[in-house]
Amino acid sequence: MKRAILFFAIPVLGWSQGISDVKRGEQVFAQSCATGYCHGAKGAPAGAPRLAGRGFDQTYITNTIMRGLPGTAMLGFGTTLSRVDLGAVIAYVAGLNGIANPSINLGPGAVSEGPSGPPLSAEAERGRALFFDAVRGFGRCSTCHEINGIGISVTTPIANIPSDPAALRALATPDVRSVTVDGETMPALIVSQGKTHALFYDLTSVPPVLRTVEPSALKVAEGTTWRHSSVIGAYNDAELRSILAYLQEAAKP
Amino acid sequence: MRFLFAVSALLAVSAASNAQDHPFDGATYANWPSYGGTAFAWRYSALDQVNGSNAKNLVPVWMFQTGDYAENLQCTPIVVDGVMYLITPRIQVFALDAATGRPLWQYKYPTPRPGRPGGMTFLQNRGVAVGDGKVFFGTTDNFVVALDQKTGAEQWKVSVDDPRQCGCDITAAPLLVKDKVIVGGTGGDAAHRGYLTAFYANTGRLAWRWYAIPAPGEKGHETWKGDSWKLGGGAPWMTGSFDPRLNLVYWGTGNASGDFNDEDRLVEGAKGKEANLYTASVVALDADTGKLRWYHQEIPDDLWDFDSAYECVLIDRPLNGQMRKLLVHVNKSGVTFVLDRVTGEFIGAFSLPEVQTWISGITEDGKLVGRREPESGKVVNTCPSAAGAKSWNSIAYSPRTGYIYAPMNEVCNDLTSTSSEAIEGRFHANGRFSLKLPPNRTTYSHLDAWDPITRKRIWSMPYRYILLASVLATAGDLVFTGDPEGDFFALDARTGNKLWNYQTGAGNRGSAVSYSVGGRQYIATPTGWQQAITGGQLAALFPGQNWRAGSALIAFALPEASK
Repeated sequence: MKRAILFFAIPVLGWSQGISDVKRGEQVFAQSCATGYCHGAKGAPAGAPRLAGRGFDQTYITNTIMRGLPGTAMLGFGTTLSRVDLGAVIAYVAGLNGIANPSINLGPGAVSEGPSGPPLSAEAERGRALFFDAVRGFGRCSTCHEINGIGISVTTPIANIPSDPAALRALATPDVRSVTVDGETMPALIVSQGKTHALFYDLTSVPPVLRTVEPSALKVAEGTTWRHSSVIGAYNDAELRSILAYLQEAAKP
Repeated sequence: MRFLFAVSALLAVSAASNAQDHPFDGATYANWPSYGGTAFAWRYSALDQVNGSNAKNLVPVWMFQTGDYAENLQCTPIVVDGVMYLITPRIQVFALDAATGRPLWQYKYPTPRPGRPGGMTFLQNRGVAVGDGKVFFGTTDNFVVALDQKTGAEQWKVSVDDPRQCGCDITAAPLLVKDKVIVGGTGGDAAHRGYLTAFYANTGRLAWRWYAIPAPGEKGHETWKGDSWKLGGGAPWMTGSFDPRLNLVYWGTGNASGDFNDEDRLVEGAKGKEANLYTASVVALDADTGKLRWYHQEIPDDLWDFDSAYECVLIDRPLNGQMRKLLVHVNKSGVTFVLDRVTGEFIGAFSLPEVQTWISGITEDGKLVGRREPESGKVVNTCPSAAGAKSWNSIAYSPRTGYIYAPMNEVCNDLTSTSSEAIEGRFHANGRFSLKLPPNRTTYSHLDAWDPITRKRIWSMPYRYILLASVLATAGDLVFTGDPEGDFFALDARTGNKLWNYQTGAGNRGSAVSYSVGGRQYIATPTGWQQAITGGQLAALFPGQNWRAGSALIAFALPEASK
């Protein structure tokens, strides 16, 4: 009975589905989607909402399964499932939503999860891992810098890439100034000084803290004792070279 | 023993007569200052204006609608000097006049940029912390923010981690400990190395970070296979406790990730034994440095998603004629551990759910025996389920009765383990569960009173569906909680008899509090059923039930004339 219903829901037109494909879609769904944390068996609600009979259209189903839903726990499967499995599971969810003739276009770009550039060299790949290395906690570069959508953008995007580790350490930091608030002087990156609020990053320690104060409470002086070298101590020279190689390659147009 | 208990009860009563500031007392008075009431996490109010003789007269005196219906109102309200502080899952913070519900100020966090799809980041928020003239909270994009307590103006904001990388965020209320604000994060079922982070309350600067998984060279690191420690889970995703006299912070940690399959993380010979420290454990940290003082792993080699992330209730009770500083901790499995909170010494364990098949029992020294583990390619039915015999909603403790009050769900699951590579920040459970109701029952939950010392169940109130609201105990010998059908009710703390009931109009998934303003005692509860994760999962077991969403706070009191 169950097989018959599914057979009528997903006929052989469009994404050419046979019984075996339907079964495969159901299997993929059971393996990858109906975990209990997320969806329930046959599109029933579990940790995530019900999928069966929701009236989803084909484009929405394809896009969501391929790319995920940002801001939710729904991940994209475009890079983790084979194309055959993707087609099968998309057709299966389409069937759960009464789409009798799924026309599925996985598209050449649809499987890409993010911006994809030319592959990185081995050294740059090492540098990328180091830049975002969670083991280094707040000592990693991404505590203050964002690249390709990951990291905290305390600074403006990295524009000039130093040539070697010594230059990276000696990097001039003209945007960092000394501010005094409540009698305490600290190195700071000023974000804005408006009529009602002044925003700045306190760079006394990592991670930087975004402070909001009344403009009159803030005294700003040019110059600082803060140096970029004081926050990159988690990396040795070889590691910094790899990171610079990554930055060079990641910055390529 | 009985004499000592009588003395301690007297002490509790005399303490209750003091007005403000009880730094070493687990009870709340006019204020409800912290997530668990106080940092002892009793969820017990010393107010007794409302009691067994007059609870039937309770009436709603005000109601506040947040207008933010995403995932209901999960927070525990904080009340300080007649002002109530609420936060919604979309990070709207409200300060209300606690006597009238009138808003004093409102803050809306900018809509965060989306997190990484597929991480364990959640649109949920369980509360603020208030102190040092500020209101502190965590966000869905993993910042800790401090507002001016008087105006709601932002003061500082600091990033804990990029959710697009770690797949983690902050859903728990922070814990304010002396000059620091401490937050845990999600990510126990993701490929992520869990941690607690402490920031200075006045500046937002980092004070310390404690990783739930030790780094190479640190003790406990040897319990991890290969590089599995880097993405091994253990996220302490709820709120901890603090004992100022011992200067110790207590926290529960999440399960190891790759939940249902230990192949990638277990070192040789550790099967079924202590493993993957300090996941699925209760830990004690030095409040000033974040250094580990002791730990107790509750579920060695956890294969059931039975994290230990829930509240640590700090109680002082006589044991063999001697007053002891204890910690009571209900594990997600419903197995409840009593530890000496000075040393971490195991005192006893008992199991609260009635249906338990994942183990056959617990030995007198706390070892789990007869483990029924998930297997690859097979379906293994175990009870309780990965949704938890208890969810994140808290138990309560009354020093007057000496009992803990705990809601328990009787739900099983079909488990299957799978195998996949850990990808940083990605969901990583290595298995799946399908919830099943146990056979031959007509009720699937109960609210129980247990004596944690004698390990005896004193009374039990069965309920036909499931219970997912926190419990509040008061010196009026009352216990308050609510059910998904919308009823919020008061029970006699000594007998479990129902004394009062109010239909709130939406499912109860929140945490009620008690406080007083101008000599009038209030009982306040958030209402609204949580749709995603546990609330939605368990609701799906009862087709046809319509447990209503919502996001309101209802305050009850005795009518002015009869108080």
